Amino acid sequence: MKSRDVFSFAFGAVRLRKMRAGLTILGIVIGIAAIVALTSITTGLQVTITSELGEGFSSDTLTVSTQSFGMFGGGSSDFTLLVNDTDTINEIEGVQTSAAIMSKSVMLDFGSTELPLSVTGVDYTAYASLYSSFVAEEGSIPETPANDSVVIGSRITDPWDNGTVLAEVGDTILISWTHRVGLEMVEENYTAEVVAILEEIGGFSMGPSDLGLYIPLSTAQSFFDTDEVNSIAVKLVSDDEELIETVSQAIEDAFDGLVSVTSPTALLDTISSVFDIVSLFLVGIAGISLLVAGIGIMNIMIVSLMERTREIGILKALGMKSRTVLGVFLMEALVVGLVGAVIGVVAGYLMAIIFSAFASTLFGGDMFGGGGGPSTSMMTITPVLTTEIILGAMAFGVLVAVVFALYPAWRASKLNPVDALRHE
Amino acid sequence: MMGEIPVNALRGLSFEVESGEYIAIVGPSGSGKSTMLNMIGALDRPTSGKLMIEGVDVSTLSDNQLADVRKNVGFVFQFFNLIPRLDARGNVELPLAIAGVLRSERKKRTEEVLTSVGLEDRMHHKPSELSGGERQRVAVARAIVTNPTFILMDEPTGNLDSKTAGEIMDLVKQLNEEQGVTLIVVTHDQNIGRQADRTLHMLDGVIASDVVN
Repeated sequence: MKSRDVFSFAFGAVRLRKMRAGLTILGIVIGIAAIVALTSITTGLQVTITSELGEGFSSDTLTVSTQSFGMFGGGSSDFTLLVNDTDTINEIEGVQTSAAIMSKSVMLDFGSTELPLSVTGVDYTAYASLYSSFVAEEGSIPETPANDSVVIGSRITDPWDNGTVLAEVGDTILISWTHRVGLEMVEENYTAEVVAILEEIGGFSMGPSDLGLYIPLSTAQSFFDTDEVNSIAVKLVSDDEELIETVSQAIEDAFDGLVSVTSPTALLDTISSVFDIVSLFLVGIAGISLLVAGIGIMNIMIVSLMERTREIGILKALGMKSRTVLGVFLMEALVVGLVGAVIGVVAGYLMAIIFSAFASTLFGGDMFGGGGGPSTSMMTITPVLTTEIILGAMAFGVLVAVVFALYPAWRASKLNPVDALRHE
Repeated sequence: MMGEIPVNALRGLSFEVESGEYIAIVGPSGSGKSTMLNMIGALDRPTSGKLMIEGVDVSTLSDNQLADVRKNVGFVFQFFNLIPRLDARGNVELPLAIAGVLRSERKKRTEEVLTSVGLEDRMHHKPSELSGGERQRVAVARAIVTNPTFILMDEPTGNLDSKTAGEIMDLVKQLNEEQGVTLIVVTHDQNIGRQADRTLHMLDGVIASDVVN
């Protein structure tokens, strides 16, 4: 029997039981759609995040902190970095400049509204030379700032993105910091004048953020009454991989290994591998639904085999070989799998698009509302559907259908024609 | 073998069939008529012993070889055994498709055969839309479409009224006479027995009598 005839015979059998075939196909569609949707969303998310991180990170910048800056956290030690440690770092060969960064959580009083935010003490000049995004859109960043100056991120002025301007250049804002002295809770207040508003940065960044407030380092030192800093950002003379390695090592050695040095490249690698794990996990879950669909196919085919025992007997009596009977049944599964996979890929992509549109409205709206803290900016996910995803998902769908049909098809092919014909 | 209990359906029987002959096999239920027919048609293999057809021991053939032998045999069953989802033409065309005959040739030959059994107006009807007699005509057409060496009929009229049964057997007789098709018919019907060239009477797995009419 020619393959074309095997196909049309098998297709006729599938078409005859539309409801049954439809439900079987639905199982495959759901499995494939879930895989495609999850894969394309995570791929899209990965692309968005890595590209935004790539923009926000200068690859020639290292971050020195007392705790490991991995995605899996890490213990912090008692060791603290101090403001003057920049001097030690600046002496290391290959370092162009460095900036100490002191960050504290504070309450901000804009008169009408109070917002919990974090304020960062930095040396404006050093910080600007480290991060090109530290640029004023309104006002200007002074080289020798007055003690009460503050530079704010673009979203501080208009946090809800609806024209509610909280602060403009020249406005004063009240920063209050609560800390403990002995058993007492002490609230320190500090009035600062907005000297500049930064250009919009967007996304993620190791450096300045749209929700950041930047005060001079010396002011921070006296206001917070400490010389401890959270981290020191280091700019290298070039972004050569080897240089990054040697300088990282030199910095760690300079502090007896009590600090950790993070390079943006390493961070990106970590994020990428985390995404790979997450997407593998999600696809695994989706794969289970496909497995269920496969069992559905097997079940349906066994039932269909019982119903069609006589038909198989007829086919064999007419001279059909066992392997052709096998082929007919596998072809039926192939048709079901292929149709399911094609619909599944389309449905999955549509699901991904709908989901990301929904997610964008959800996260892109009220940043300060709800229970979550403020976030830097809205993140749009564009689902990515690659040829690999399409072909992989389709191959997987067809494979599942055929593999689960193997046993029923094999049983059909092994039927003895006389017994099959006698079957009621 | 029927079910789990071994039955010696046939015992040491031997007979010869001439090409173009019309043989009726009669005998009571359980005498081994159908078993013999199934073996002649390579549908079944003897569990022990030999079965020689045209000098070939069928019991030694593989499943695939048996399938090939069956391509040269036309079967007509008591319960028609048509495929319900295929129309008359699809059913008749099926053995040709299985044999790998080209589509255009299949169509021509199918229409020819269906016309010869008088179903030229019923080609696109499914078995459920046909009467018992018409169904059996489709089955006959399906049996002769491949120009087989011989046609085996297992109680072809068992499920038909006597008038329709007569029409079917007249058709078969006509095919035998005009086209020289070799016919082996298992039947209870005494009329068929009389119509055939030769009647084998079976009893308990052996041929009790072999009468030339």
